[in-house]
Amino acid sequence: MRAYALPLIAGLVLGGLVHIVTTLTMPRFASEDAFARLARLGPPNVVQIIPDSTPSQATLPRMDPAFLSAVCVYDLSSAALRVRIPTTADYTSVSFYTRYGLAYYALNDHAAGARTIELQLMTPAQRAALPEDEDITAADRLIIESPTAEGIVMIRALVRERGLRETIRARLTEASCSPIG
Amino acid sequence: MRVFNVLIALAVGIVSGLGLTWLASARGSNFGTVQIGAWTAWPKSGTVEADPYARATFARAGELPLGLADGIAFVATTDDAGARLDGRCDIRIEGRLPPARYWTLTVYDPRGRLIDNVADRYGYNSAEIVWRPDAAIEIVLAPRARDGNWIPSGGRDRLIAVLRLYDAPVGLGSRSGDAAEMPAIRQEYCP
Repeated sequence: MRAYALPLIAGLVLGGLVHIVTTLTMPRFASEDAFARLARLGPPNVVQIIPDSTPSQATLPRMDPAFLSAVCVYDLSSAALRVRIPTTADYTSVSFYTRYGLAYYALNDHAAGARTIELQLMTPAQRAALPEDEDITAADRLIIESPTAEGIVMIRALVRERGLRETIRARLTEASCSPIG
Repeated sequence: MRVFNVLIALAVGIVSGLGLTWLASARGSNFGTVQIGAWTAWPKSGTVEADPYARATFARAGELPLGLADGIAFVATTDDAGARLDGRCDIRIEGRLPPARYWTLTVYDPRGRLIDNVADRYGYNSAEIVWRPDAAIEIVLAPRARDGNWIPSGGRDRLIAVLRLYDAPVGLGSRSGDAAEMPAIRQEYCP
C-alpha cells in the first residue's frame, strides 16, 4: 500500500489544480450559458421581448414569472449603443451583464427618476475617444462602460396583476438599443 | 512500474479535480452567503465581486444572477427543520419580510422550471397577495386547491422557493442583515 502513497498524493495535488483551473475557466467554456441562450432570440443590438416562462419552456432557468423581460444582447465592437427604456407605473429595472454573466451595473426607475431611462453603453476605449465637448459631457447624460465588448442588457418590468400584462408588454416594446452614429 | 504510478496520479488527479468542480458548480458557492432561517442569499453573486464558484454555477446553469442594485434573491430548498421541501406536504410560509419596494415569491423544480398547474399560478407578488392584518404573509404550497394564498406544488417531491426583494435597503445584502426577519417555513401533513 505504501508504494501507492506517493502517486495518490501527487494525484490529489493534481486534482486540486484541475479543480481550480476548470472552475475558473467554466464561464468561458459553458456552451449553454445565459449569453448563448439569449443570443438565439435574435440578432445583436436589437431589443427582443423574452417569451414568458412556462413549465415546459423557458429561455433562462429561474426567471421571475412576475416580470416581463426584454433583452438587448450587445456587441460594441463597431459602435457604442444608445439604450432607451420606458418605465412603467410599477417597478422597472435595467441590469447589465458581461459576456460571461457578471452583473456589473443595474438601476431601476426610482434611481433613474424619469419616464424613460436613457443611457449610452460603450467600451472604455470608446469613452476615452469621446470629444471633450462641453455639451456632450453634460452631467445629465448617463454613460455606462462595459468591461467586455459583448454583453447583455436585461430590461425587466413588474406585472403587479395579470390584467396589466399586455399593457406592460406594449410599453416594453418601446424599449430600444441602437448603435450611435 | 514508474509509468503505472504516473498513470495512477493522473487518473486520481483528473477524476478528483473534475468531480470536485462538477459538485461545486451544482451546489453553488458557500462564500459570502447570508443565511436567515431556511433562506440563503448570495448578494455578492450579483456584483462584479462574484466569486469563481458563483460564476461557474451561474454559467453552467445558464442563469443570470439578480444584480444587487436591482434586488436580492433568497433561496430555500428545505424547511426550518432542515427537511427538503416536499410538494406532497402542505408547505406553510409564514411571517414578516424585510422592507422592500416589491417582493415576489416563486416556486420552481430543482432544475429551475416552473411547476405545471391549471391555474397558471407560479407564485405571488407583494401587490397581489392577501396580507394578514399584522403585516405578515401566509402562503401555502400544496398539491390541492385551498383558500387563501395558495401555490400549487404539483405534488413534486422536491421544490425550490425563491423570495426576491426588489429595491431593498443596501444593508440586507451585508452580514449585518442577519437580524432581518424572514418568513418561517414549516411542512405539515406529509404522506
